[in-house]
Amino acid sequence: MAKIRLRKRNLPALFFIYLAALVVFFVAVFPFGWMLSTSLKRPEDTFTSVPKLIPPQFTLENYRRAFQDTLLGRYILNSLYVASVVTLASLVLATLAGYGFSRFRFPGRQAWLLFILCIQMLPSVVIIIPLFIVMRNLHALNSHWALLVSYPTFTLPLSIWMLKGFFDEIPRELEEVAQIDGCSVPAAFFRVILPLTLPGITASGIYAFIGAWNEFMFAMTFINHQELYTMPVGLNAFFGQFTVEWNQLMAASVFFTLPSLVFFLLVRKYLARGIVGGAVKG
Amino acid sequence: MPLPRPGKELLSAKGGIPVKTPVRMEELQGWEPAFWLALKKHRLAFAFVCPALLAIGLVILYPLVAVVVTSFERYYLLEILTKGSTYIGFANYVEILKDPEFWYSLGITLFFTAACVILTILSGLAVALLLNLEFPGHRVLSVAVLLPWVMPRVASSILWKWIYDDQFGILNYLLTLLGFKGMVSYAWLAHTGSALWAVIIVVVWQSFPFIAVALLAGLQSIPDELYEAAMIDGASAWQRLHFITLPFLRNLLGVLTVISTIWDFKVFDQMWVLTGGGPAGSTMILGIHTWMHAFAYLRMGRASALAVLMLLLVTVITLFYLKVFNREEE
Repeated sequence: MAKIRLRKRNLPALFFIYLAALVVFFVAVFPFGWMLSTSLKRPEDTFTSVPKLIPPQFTLENYRRAFQDTLLGRYILNSLYVASVVTLASLVLATLAGYGFSRFRFPGRQAWLLFILCIQMLPSVVIIIPLFIVMRNLHALNSHWALLVSYPTFTLPLSIWMLKGFFDEIPRELEEVAQIDGCSVPAAFFRVILPLTLPGITASGIYAFIGAWNEFMFAMTFINHQELYTMPVGLNAFFGQFTVEWNQLMAASVFFTLPSLVFFLLVRKYLARGIVGGAVKG
Repeated sequence: MPLPRPGKELLSAKGGIPVKTPVRMEELQGWEPAFWLALKKHRLAFAFVCPALLAIGLVILYPLVAVVVTSFERYYLLEILTKGSTYIGFANYVEILKDPEFWYSLGITLFFTAACVILTILSGLAVALLLNLEFPGHRVLSVAVLLPWVMPRVASSILWKWIYDDQFGILNYLLTLLGFKGMVSYAWLAHTGSALWAVIIVVVWQSFPFIAVALLAGLQSIPDELYEAAMIDGASAWQRLHFITLPFLRNLLGVLTVISTIWDFKVFDQMWVLTGGGPAGSTMILGIHTWMHAFAYLRMGRASALAVLMLLLVTVITLFYLKVFNREEE
């Protein structure tokens, strides 16, 4: 590993490194800290000429009011529902497909793989128009169905690529042994391979969940009823009001960020996969 | 004697009509028998793959075809129940190409994308080089640096809107502390000069961690011996960067540059929440421009044509990506 070790006595270099590290740390963490701080502050401590980084008096009032005075709880439930269903559906389809692409050679395989790679580059605004027309004709607008159908457009390709990668890493001999022992191909898949890939499946699932949890454009376009809003749309709707309740808005944003934060820490080591493919091998 | 081409006859043989010439399946010509043969041979593979491919066909492939079809139509949502849609050939495209707003939007988009990519790659590379140094605390930093990337796009946009706030925003306060007295109550998002840059900063802030982490992985795969040899030969830090590090990272940098280009070309959420295309249309990137035509002006045909043009642009970038990607795989 090409970690570069520093010579101990090189003080000026160490000084500049720490200066740079401090700047990077500040840039990366400070905005989040500011969000947390605002969410824990009373409004009278927020709108002052000299901003206070540490709240003079900590309060959870903003969180309480965000839940009580707005539909935040509703938005969270909606987001949870949509993201979970989309994740489950994508995982089932993508696990099967990932295994198929990893283990079998069939006509059209390369072309499909390439296509699936390429559709990850697709701007959502391109397919949102035809999807909108379809949803409108099916009277599926203003229902969560519209989201459940459109979210796989981005969760499915990513999951397939990620899972194919995970299956590729499991030696074929395992199935061959299972088949010699009398397992059929599907049985070998379910009993031997699937349990081994569970970490990979979890990681892909988390990715799909975060993608669906964060999605904004489809949700904003397809859904107009406030009770059906997902988190991002609900948060953005705060701006429609006369005065922006920044404290509550920051409290809600903290809530919105938390699941992403927790999940990302869990799948940190799979970070670059599925997106850069094998490019990080070096 | 050459075999007669059975074509459809054989297929109907399944229905009970006897086949005239006995042939083995392998000798058949034409796509249909070949198709059934392949289906039979690979039925297990298809069983695994087909559900997902069917879904992709339904939610991606079909819309892609539909958007091209709609782009050749007059499809005005308010009239669609009374008049329906009519085929008008390339009229939508001609109209778009004659529209100065489109050209302005395209220019803004290209500028925005280029600025985001350059700043993201440079800052990502700088942070990766920093994280590759083994100073006490570098582990903490390498986790902390992920924070901007972890935040949902809408959450970070809202957060930055608060940071940019003209009256109580922390940014103006910090700037006045640093001596920029003119920045008291400057409305970053309300001025045509600064709004685009304000969004560029947010996008770069959100995407540099990914680039940094990916590049760090690349950096750590460079063999130690190279650096040791270079040190013995008396190479300066700059020379090591120039002759070892950068050449090693070249391909990875290529891949990451293209990926960033595509991501930044697609940006929508941050722009929507922060500026919504304003002020005075100065941040009307193509994504917002297209969305407005579809869902604010309800001109679905025209919007579809815009979407197709965007698709073409992305395709060009993607082809480039595949070229780099393939070179990497070899």
